[in-house]
Amino acid sequence: MASFELICPAGTLAALRAAVDAGADSVYVGFRDETNARNFPGLNFSRKELAQGVAYAHARGKQVFVAINTYPTAGNAGAWHRAVDDAADNGADAVILADLGLLDYAARSRPKLRLHLSVQASAANPEAIGLYRDAFGVRRVVLPRVLTINDIAKLTSEIDIDTEVFVFGGMCPMAEGRCSLSSYATGRSPNRNGVCSPASHVRYETRGSKLVSRLGAFTINTFDEEEPAGYPTLCKGRFTTHDKASYLFEEPTSLNALHLLPDLKAAGVKALKIEGRQRGKAYIAEVVSACRLALDRFDRGLPYDATVLDRVTEGGKDTAGAYGRAWR
Amino acid sequence: MDDRANTRRPPERTPERTIETVVARLGLTLAQPLGGRLIQPVLDLMISTLARRHPDAFERMAELGEADLLVDPSDLPAAFLLHVGQKPSLRVVERSTVATARVRGAFAALLDLFEGRIDGDALFFSRDLTIEGDTELVVGMRNALDGEDFDIAEDFGSLFGPLARLPLRRPLTSLAGVLGNLHEVLLAPALRRLEQVERRLGRLEEGKR
Repeated sequence: MASFELICPAGTLAALRAAVDAGADSVYVGFRDETNARNFPGLNFSRKELAQGVAYAHARGKQVFVAINTYPTAGNAGAWHRAVDDAADNGADAVILADLGLLDYAARSRPKLRLHLSVQASAANPEAIGLYRDAFGVRRVVLPRVLTINDIAKLTSEIDIDTEVFVFGGMCPMAEGRCSLSSYATGRSPNRNGVCSPASHVRYETRGSKLVSRLGAFTINTFDEEEPAGYPTLCKGRFTTHDKASYLFEEPTSLNALHLLPDLKAAGVKALKIEGRQRGKAYIAEVVSACRLALDRFDRGLPYDATVLDRVTEGGKDTAGAYGRAWR
Repeated sequence: MDDRANTRRPPERTPERTIETVVARLGLTLAQPLGGRLIQPVLDLMISTLARRHPDAFERMAELGEADLLVDPSDLPAAFLLHVGQKPSLRVVERSTVATARVRGAFAALLDLFEGRIDGDALFFSRDLTIEGDTELVVGMRNALDGEDFDIAEDFGSLFGPLARLPLRRPLTSLAGVLGNLHEVLLAPALRRLEQVERRLGRLEEGKR
């Protein structure tokens, strides 16, 4: 039996096919609206595309999860309820939710639908996770990227539902679902509108040989010629204080925990998730293939290359993030 | 493993892409003195062919509203202006043309991006792709194209009618491989010659002003 289930992202039907073909066990997707946390222009699935994606995956013995993981505004939950209903009606194997009210709606109206708790819920202790399990029948929790391996091992031993952790992709260093940095800069909330650093508020400028990235009224970074660039997120901004430019929270970097597979297995983690529904199908194919190969070799006790994905990393760097870091 | 700075590697270029770049440079260089008269009908046919073969992608592009994207291949003598909206079009323009947004990179990388063979974010991180202007348009375009399986050989092969049914692709690919291996010997002199022609044309243009 495989040590881990590999959960892979898809922003389009073509990306879903790429993920399945490259070795995903399950693919997670979102609808083309603000009900999910990757609400990028031109991205995500229509209802018809979800049905096509589910058919493609099921025909190959794979699963599809639908992320409905933003928070409805008060009195305006209709789109989120429809998303749960349409995910169930189109054959999704699970929905990934964060909002308490939406979990309640899904548990009551779709009792057979499998519920996963999104990383957007930032559930990081046994009491919180136990509440989601008892109240709504949640079967799996996606853990925040701010926990250490020891935290994950302790937490997993104290709960009786599956744990899923991120193994590769974007490195969000914040308590997810509770970060307001992008909201502060743009007036649009990642947690309600579904997009961190929305493209509508991002500008890139070339100044001589330098690349300047801006978000709303803020300069996020200035990259020298040949210096690898990163996403224009405030948490990875380089700011000047006392005449010295430095990264306050995190550098432009990607999470790569492939070298920690033995530790994650020992910690009792059930599923490994790749971040990146906003990335192209070429990225999906490359990353899923590499992770599949690593997992298969790990299961057979063979050495594997944890650095094979270097060229797709943000800022040309990767990190084990909180998994392997002492907090400053 | 601590935090790591990864080694920067330039995007790989296939022999086919090298040849396509040379052909495009040659075509644009020879067509420029004639303005758009020679090349515009070809571009119109290409757009109408793509729209017919990939209606979903064009529907998603239409949702982006009326906008102009300047596609600026850094190794070609001119740029392309892609108008998206209800009536999409493609024109050859000077690279100084004002547009809603601009995407700049090597022609081969732009073709790879169009066909979804390469990750646009990775190209951006490695500075092999430059974006300016309306980022939302660029992201929307990328997603609209990436959701579709474009293939230049397949899509435009139909333009050649019965000729497209001839089993030419494999031998042409093999030929491209051989030519790619002999790139320095065969193509480098042609590229140098092309650059000379481009410089001469540039001087003539300067003289007219």
